[in-house]
Amino acid sequence: MGYIIGEEAKDLLRDVKEFCEKEVKEQIKEYDVSGEWPRPIYEQAQEMQLHMMDVPEEYGGLGLDHITQAALVEQMAWADAGFAVTMNGNGLALKPVLISGNEEQKKKCSEMIVNGGYGAFALTEPDAGCDASNGKTTAVREGDEYVLNGRKCFITNASVADFFVVTAMTDKTKGTKGMSAFLVYKGTPGLSVGNHENKMGVRTSTTSDLVLDEVRIPAENLLGEEGTGFVTAMKTLDLARIWCAVIGVGVAKRCIDEAAAYARQRVQFGAPIGKNQAIQFKMADMEIRTEASRQLIVHALTLADKGLPFSKESAEAKCFAGDSVMQTSIDAVQILGGYGYSREYPVEKLMRDAKIFQIFEGTNEIQRMVVGRSVIGKI
Amino acid sequence: MNILVCVKQVPDDFAKVHLGENGKPALEGIDKVVNAFDTYAVEMAVRLCENHGGRVVVATIGAEEEVRPSMVQMIAVGANQAYIFAPNTADGDESSVAAGLAELVKKTEETIGESFDLIMCGKESTDEISSQVGAMLAEKLNLSFVSSVIDVKPAEAGLCVKQETEEGSASYEVSCPAVVTVAKPEYDPRYPNLKSKMAARKAVIPYLSDALTPVQPAVRCMNYQEPAKREAGVKIQEKNAVDAVARAIALMADDKVL
Ligand SMILES: Cc1cc2nc3c(=O)[nH]c(=O)nc-3n(C[C@H](O)[C@H](O)[C@H](O)COP(=O)(O)OP(=O)(O)OC[C@H]3O[C@@H](n4cnc5c(N)ncnc54)[C@H](O)[C@@H]3O)c2cc1C
Repeated sequence: MGYIIGEEAKDLLRDVKEFCEKEVKEQIKEYDVSGEWPRPIYEQAQEMQLHMMDVPEEYGGLGLDHITQAALVEQMAWADAGFAVTMNGNGLALKPVLISGNEEQKKKCSEMIVNGGYGAFALTEPDAGCDASNGKTTAVREGDEYVLNGRKCFITNASVADFFVVTAMTDKTKGTKGMSAFLVYKGTPGLSVGNHENKMGVRTSTTSDLVLDEVRIPAENLLGEEGTGFVTAMKTLDLARIWCAVIGVGVAKRCIDEAAAYARQRVQFGAPIGKNQAIQFKMADMEIRTEASRQLIVHALTLADKGLPFSKESAEAKCFAGDSVMQTSIDAVQILGGYGYSREYPVEKLMRDAKIFQIFEGTNEIQRMVVGRSVIGKI
Repeated sequence: MNILVCVKQVPDDFAKVHLGENGKPALEGIDKVVNAFDTYAVEMAVRLCENHGGRVVVATIGAEEEVRPSMVQMIAVGANQAYIFAPNTADGDESSVAAGLAELVKKTEETIGESFDLIMCGKESTDEISSQVGAMLAEKLNLSFVSSVIDVKPAEAGLCVKQETEEGSASYEVSCPAVVTVAKPEYDPRYPNLKSKMAARKAVIPYLSDALTPVQPAVRCMNYQEPAKREAGVKIQEKNAVDAVARAIALMADDKVL
């Protein structure tokens, strides 16, 4: 049934749907093949303000409630997961600033996004994936500056970002309490974007290494206090995971729509395949999983909106939605049979896109660790 | 420059419309949209005002609740003000619609206290496709008129308008006030952004319930007919392409198509 939204939200959703159907859904196919970043489509999406849904109203944002936002982001992901990941990347980068930044930092980064810029959140490193605390990037205070050195990897939007939130160790002896978060702006000497990933899915989202070689930034670019970087990053991911789940649901919904349309018209043994219970049950499971994912999302968002703890619930939503969309995309390919396996039809892309939702913003193993530990409690 | 764009709400032209039991087009469940050519006119008007100053007023004839979403949409894409006029006729023909619009122009001018320099209509509406209303409106207002306009710029004597022709285009200078009908320009109409849409939803859109004089249409539609269903045709079932093409050519030769 989807999200329960009001008249205004329905109106906005109609516009976004029209845009996605007319300007994104078909156009994105060639970019998926080439791996080129679909700049013209993103520029149009920016004109519609689809890139700034996380900017608070007081900094020029839209003031949408979170359920409305979820409905719109789901629609964007329905058209193309990489498109939604790209637009959502701004939200991912802005969250740590809103969580730990000062007024000026919040204003500056929000304005950059509102004016058509991009942000990137750089936590992952070659040796620090799931174990994010194992970062080797360092930040050394020298007078009024910090000097950053290190290499980040798999950074969404790195090649187009105007600002980066970078985590770095300010005191290696203190473990996670020695990690700090910094704002680094595009064009800072020593900052460069390295290897671009040639990915299996979400190919319309750009993912790259970020290299920091003697990058000098003013000390005021520190986000919050020294040593709070890990907590900032974890709080960021708690929130961001819900949006990751929302995007996954959009992909799942597309799988359902494509598979249902095919099941209605593909005739075998003299009848549409959708008349077979085996197909109906598969479609039912696809729908049940997807609706359950949505409701886990709504629950996590409601808790977050009420200021209640929601780390466990956001991990549940992300994990369940990620596993669900993966299975649902496999089912969609199965329902389309050989045509599902062909690049002529849209579902093989959906299956490639779906996999990422079990990996980024904390693998689903990590999500299960969060949930499991929370359930068992301190031992 | 003051511009009025006359806007019509039509059934979504992507939807297939069939006749209902009463013999009229069954429109229930079909989305209502702004006539595509009217959206081009609004975009052209908004661009003209963005580049050279002015304001864009949109107006429509229809039932308030039914057409309000379309007017909201036009405000969201740049129109400054919208008015809805209650219909002057049921099932009106082109002439009575044009008479209503002529009155609408005058009443809108009275309401805003200024006159329009340019009145724009779509070159046709995607439901009726008669292409008559704009020209009749110009006639009733006794104003200069150019059809199928794809570009408009200010000029010394008024406006320089580019008209789409069979072979290319022709440019004209027209004095203001003028009426033009608009064809598909090179650009596409913009999508409303989220903020402008939210603001537009709050816009006050006056409904003028008895501003137009009732008119008896001189032309009345008696009934509609759907196009004849395509006949079964011939299936070419040859296994390979060469044989299939040969068979198709033979069939066409038999029927003297070739
Ligand atoms: C397309 C894409 C976009 C991304 N965008 C960003 C971004 O914008 N910013 C950013 O900072 N990062 C980003 N990432 C990085 C992403 O978050 C990491 O890839 C992810 O956290 C996993 O890290 P890893 O790849 O090093 O895997 P590893 O940590 O090496 O894990 C390998 C496998 O081991 C499992 N595993 C590891 N530890 C345990 C354990 N203790 N118990 C059980 N299983 C375990 C993992 O679940 C996984 O299955 C992105 C990645 C991709 C692919």
